[in-house]
Amino acid sequence: MKKKKELKISRRTVMKGALAAGAMMSAGSIPSKLFAGEFNIPDPLKPLPTTGGNMRWIDSGDMKGVFWKKLFPEYAASRGITIEYDGLPWKEINKIVPIAIRNGTVHDVFQLPIGMDPGVAVSEGWVQPWDDYIENIDEWLGAFPSGVYLPGVNQFNGKTYGTCLTANKRTGTCLLYSEKYMSEAGYDPQAGRMTYSEIRDAAKKITKNGNGQYYGWIIGGNQVNRWEDVVHTFGQVGGAHSGRGGFTNRHINFQNGKFQIASDQYMEAVELLLQLKSDGSAFPGVMSMNAPQARALMPQGAAGMIFQGPWCIGVWGRDAPNWKYGIASEPVPDGKEAQPLYIAEGGSNTFWLSANSTMGPFAGDLIRFMGTEQGQIYWAQTVGAADPAVNPDAVAKAGLTGPSAQALAMFAENILVGPNPIVRNKDVGIVAAKSRVPDPSLALVIQGLYTGQLKGVEAQLKDCNQRYEDALDKAVEEARADGANVTRDDWVFPNWDVYSNYGAEKYQEI
Amino acid sequence: MHKKPLSKQIYDARWCYLFVLPCSILTGMFVIYPIGMSWYFSLLDWSGFTKEAKFIGLQNYYEAVNDKFFWDAFIRSFIFMFGTVPVKIVLGFIIAVFLNNQVLKLAPFFRTVIFMPVVTAIAIIGIVMTFVFSPFNGPANKFLMSTNLTSAPIDFLGNPDTVLPTVMGVYVWKWLGITMMYWLAALQTVPQDVYDAAKIDGAEGYRLWIHIILPIVLPFAIVIILVEAVGALNVFPLIETMTAGGPFFSSEVMEIYIFRTAFVTDSGTMPRLGYACAAGVFWGVAVLFITVLQGLWMRRTRRI
Repeated sequence: MKKKKELKISRRTVMKGALAAGAMMSAGSIPSKLFAGEFNIPDPLKPLPTTGGNMRWIDSGDMKGVFWKKLFPEYAASRGITIEYDGLPWKEINKIVPIAIRNGTVHDVFQLPIGMDPGVAVSEGWVQPWDDYIENIDEWLGAFPSGVYLPGVNQFNGKTYGTCLTANKRTGTCLLYSEKYMSEAGYDPQAGRMTYSEIRDAAKKITKNGNGQYYGWIIGGNQVNRWEDVVHTFGQVGGAHSGRGGFTNRHINFQNGKFQIASDQYMEAVELLLQLKSDGSAFPGVMSMNAPQARALMPQGAAGMIFQGPWCIGVWGRDAPNWKYGIASEPVPDGKEAQPLYIAEGGSNTFWLSANSTMGPFAGDLIRFMGTEQGQIYWAQTVGAADPAVNPDAVAKAGLTGPSAQALAMFAENILVGPNPIVRNKDVGIVAAKSRVPDPSLALVIQGLYTGQLKGVEAQLKDCNQRYEDALDKAVEEARADGANVTRDDWVFPNWDVYSNYGAEKYQEI
Repeated sequence: MHKKPLSKQIYDARWCYLFVLPCSILTGMFVIYPIGMSWYFSLLDWSGFTKEAKFIGLQNYYEAVNDKFFWDAFIRSFIFMFGTVPVKIVLGFIIAVFLNNQVLKLAPFFRTVIFMPVVTAIAIIGIVMTFVFSPFNGPANKFLMSTNLTSAPIDFLGNPDTVLPTVMGVYVWKWLGITMMYWLAALQTVPQDVYDAAKIDGAEGYRLWIHIILPIVLPFAIVIILVEAVGALNVFPLIETMTAGGPFFSSEVMEIYIFRTAFVTDSGTMPRLGYACAAGVFWGVAVLFITVLQGLWMRRTRRI
């Protein structure tokens, strides 16, 4: 009979293991929280129901999903509940959440579809305030930086309906590149911001070096918002000062309250994309892939450059830890100085609690913990720059290094807080609820220009700009007909200095 | 003869009515009621999930018939139908003729192989096909390049000129098995004596098929065409999973158009359920019109 093999651990093996673990911990290369079961989840501030239950949670995934999938099992076990998590792309959130709201099956905690006015969610009774579920909520809110929680944005009727754990100080169109391909092409984006000509030239050289095996540049072209994001941000870097966010903010220059879609800077950005295609530098399948697919091809060596967000850092770190890449700021048009980018006040990834939810005590307890400094440190250590934690002290204590730290430094340098019409006049929210992006949207126009189905950049962007102006005018008119006290002048901020943050004192001035 | 009063007639047939009742209730709930509500919603300016809904009469219909993208999608749906149905009908018939031959020992095997895509989930097929036709390492392009049929990869689903034919090809492949089964059922209604008699009379090869078999199975052909035509106008899951109507509306058929306006706007603004219902009603009437025409054609053919 075969003797059963016994597991023998020698003293030498134990010593080797202990030394290796000690070296890893002391070097700080792997934060301790990466080991399962090491979240220090505090006891709830007040007793939670003992009935258990299942909490359903949906958000836009990416690195958030990575974090939640680590935390949720531990949290659920500590509170005697189960948590069902769905991390989905925004395109899916935009489909699922409205349908689920409509048929009364929306998750306990969810994110609103992009562009949907939170005021509508509150007035329609889809959500309930967090105040009853987050213990000492005033004290808890006081720990967040000013400008994160604002009336008309996430607070309504004196109550907090939306909770933000992350800052919106980031862009989704950084230059991410293969260090090998870029250096072979003779460029180093770390030496300074690249110009459009340099990007074009680098893409040509990478494609030439690839000899049909890889290409200069890639984009997830069937995910239409990618086209708009690139042109919008590049346009801003070029000097088309405009807001970010939903339809009533995006592309609007708050100096004159007009859309910037037909500006020279937008045209230059579109031309750059078309030139990358006409040069033969674009990956040949861009129109049949979405952003995550394009992102996944980068470490496989399919392309040298992609304009994407910091969420790539975590995904690549996990899926292709040995691949060498760099991150840099968006390129600038030739002969121009890079201009600031703008975000509206408030946080990002706002979480809403379904009005039908009975899991409020647990959701509130979890959100409260995540808003504490320890919760924010945990978040920052896993999510990094992808969705930066909103508490800057926690980010500093998280000890981020490498591309994450570089991205955060870049955002801090490049991004300012711009005006937000809804903070000035909450009736702008009614306009947002009435507004409809006209067909074809800017995203689709750029896609159509890229595929060659639309001709003439200038004419198309001018037409598009006019459609956007008309759509906003119509929405304002409809809101006024419903009693809203709002005019297009609410989008004009004459005291906006484009080189400084637009804070509370500026709103008071006007 | 004295006719029974209606109440008496109903009472006498009470068991029939009782047995019809569950089906009538279900039809009312899941067919009649939704149709009625979609007609009503089409008269509203309503996002579909706010309380606020304004009656605007026929304004949605007016807007739809003046929308270039509506008509593009409308026409594209018919291009899809006219591009796929004849191919499926002809190919399905040819395959059925071969596989109906009792001498062919492997006929059951080939029938199973051709039928397999029919029972595969359409969403799975849609997703898998995006990989098959990928320009980067997709097997379709690998084959074309390895055989020197193309020198550069083709972006089948990303090129506005190739996207619709590609999706149509996948649709034909996916559903060819069911068309073949329809034809096999039709061919098996032809009695063996007809074949024998035709052969004795010297009708063989294409003459046998053109002059003897085809006239017998023609009434089946009309039913098959009707079923196939309506099927080709309902291709939402395949197109949504393969292209979602893109690039730049190149593969947007009516169902995708309705879905986009009813539920999902790429730009994230409020959807328009009322407008989508108007487009849906318009589309439904158009499909009904075609179905009626085909029904009339079928009656006429039967008389002949």
